[in-house]
Formats: sequence, C-alpha cells, structure tokens
Amino acid sequence: MPVQKILTFPHPLLKKRAHLIARVDEHIRGLIEDLVDTMRAGPGSVGVAAPQIGVSLAACVVDVSNNRHGKENNHGLLIMLNPEIVAADGSAVMREGCMSVPDYTGEVERATAVTVKYLNLHGEQQTVAASGFEAVAIQHELDHLDGILFLDRIVSLKTGLFRRKNYQ
Amino acid sequence: MTRKSADHLAHFALTIISKDRPGIVADTSEVLYRLGCNIADSSCTMLGGDFAMILIVTHEKPFSKARLADEFRALQERTGLAVHLRTLHDDELSPVDDAGELCLISVYGSDQPGIVYRVTRALADHKVNITDLNTRLIGTKEEPVYVLMLEAILPAGMSVDSTAAMMEPLRKELNVEIGVRAITPVSL
Repeated sequence: MPVQKILTFPHPLLKKRAHLIARVDEHIRGLIEDLVDTMRAGPGSVGVAAPQIGVSLAACVVDVSNNRHGKENNHGLLIMLNPEIVAADGSAVMREGCMSVPDYTGEVERATAVTVKYLNLHGEQQTVAASGFEAVAIQHELDHLDGILFLDRIVSLKTGLFRRKNYQ
Repeated sequence: MTRKSADHLAHFALTIISKDRPGIVADTSEVLYRLGCNIADSSCTMLGGDFAMILIVTHEKPFSKARLADEFRALQERTGLAVHLRTLHDDELSPVDDAGELCLISVYGSDQPGIVYRVTRALADHKVNITDLNTRLIGTKEEPVYVLMLEAILPAGMSVDSTAAMMEPLRKELNVEIGVRAITPVSL
C-alpha cells in the first residue's frame, strides 16, 4: 500500500491521541513505508504522521532536506516511533499550513531547538537534536500524534501585532 | 457555514462600521443567521474608536439583495451602525491565484504626507499585489511616527532582496525604515 489519502479535518482521528506502538513488526514497517511514500507524494510535504493517513499509532516521518528552509540543517529522513520531545529551547513564530487543514495558514510559535527520543524501525532507542525548520516540522508532526492541529496553537491573528495596547 | 457549489449561491459584500461597543458582531451575525445567510469570508477590526466589518455573505438562490438590505436598514435604524451592501459578480468569488513569494513589508518613520501612497505606488508599478495592509499613527504629538505594515505577493521572478533593493531609493528619500521579509507559509 503505497501513497495514502491524507485525511482532512473534521475527521475524528485527527483530534485523537495516537496509541503507542508495542512491537515493531511487519505491520509497522508497512505503515512507515506508506508514510514515507505519502510524504514524498505530497507537494512540498516535509512530514506525515500516522493519524493523517487513518492509523492511530504513534509513528511519523520527517524529511526537510529538500525544503529551502531545511536543506542546510537536517538529519535527512527521520522515521520516528513513539517519539517524545525531551528538551526544547528557544521560540520563533512561523506561518504554518497543514495538508489536513487545507486552505488555511496561521502563525504558530514553536521551539527553535528540540531533542527528541524515539524508536527506530529496529526498535532501538534513538535521540536526535534538531534545530531550525527541522525542529518546527518535528513539533508539528508530534502534535498530530497528540491530536493537536496547528489551529490549536495559533498565537495571533496576522494583524494582531498592532491591536494590543497592553503588552504582557 | 455550509459549503456547496458556488453556482447555487448569491454572493454579497457587506461592510459595517459602527462606533465601537460590545455586540456589533453579534447583532450583525444574528441578522445573517435569521436570514439563512452564511459568512463565507470576513475581516473585522477596530479602527480608531470604530469597529469595522467586511464580510462576504452567501445565500442559496433565489435570494434578493433587497431582503438583506431591508433587514440591515432596520438594524441601522435601531443601533446607528453604517451599512453598505453590494452584489458580487462571478469573477470576484475566488482570490487571484498568485504563486509568488509572500512577504511582509514594514515601513515606519517620522509622520509625513504620502508614505502610504509612495510605497504602494512603487509596489503597484512592479506588479506586487498587496493582500493585507494596516497603518497606525503612533509616537507623540511632538514626534508622530507612522507605521505601515503590509503583506504582498511578489510577481514571478521577483525576490525579497530585489524588492528591498527596489524600495531603497524611497527609503532614502522619505527617510523611513523599510524592511522586507519572506513570510511564505511552510507546508507541514
């Protein structure tokens, strides 16, 4: 099963927390293949999470190496099972869009550097320290595993900057 | 709002400006809701002491503009808000499809006549399409500062750097700060 259809909101799976993967088997390897194929097929896509293709398991893939924001600073293809952010630093706002929420973009604040722990396809514990756009993409995909969409994280209307009289 | 083929829908542009108070949006959307209208697209904000609403409103055909106008005339008489209503034509229903870089252009400096005009004329002459713009007069009475922020889509072949270079003579002439930054959304 190669390229899968990307689910769009209001599909309920997109707002559900994905289940942890208990064992890395053929089924999981097939799922990862689908995720990679689906990511490669999406125009400009830099990541896909399993819930986006209808599978409520904690698996996602990220690859920003072909993106202009990420090509100088990346780990190539990241295949992450049961990923977890164990450290985060810095913050920056970027305007994000998502294949599961077409025709909308919004300003989202993310950490500029994250350390993420996950299992690879051999079930081995891995740790990766990512920064810049790769860190943003990882946070976006990991959010999908928690049932969080970028819409839940929009920090401001694009014109909001000038509306505030009281800065906090 | 429910989505259906645009052929079945009548489209209207509705503009409402009122002295600001709580309830303007609720009053307006209540009228639309009772009429069975959808708010398809909208942008509303405070400007000075007023609240301004611009909405694209749709309704299943057949539906007459007069019906909408009547309802809002009643609201106008009741609450004093200013209403303008216009029927949209088919070629106004979707945005112009520009594939170029989206950038944010910030302009600020001592207040003087012509900042908006000179900047936007330069952009228009280079086929830069403004998608969003807001301005504000800040600073003190003695030293008023004008701030202009706009978002625009650059035409094919035009970069953020070349846009900044194009604005450079204007920056010097008006003695204002001009910044151009890419804000093209990232697809994740």
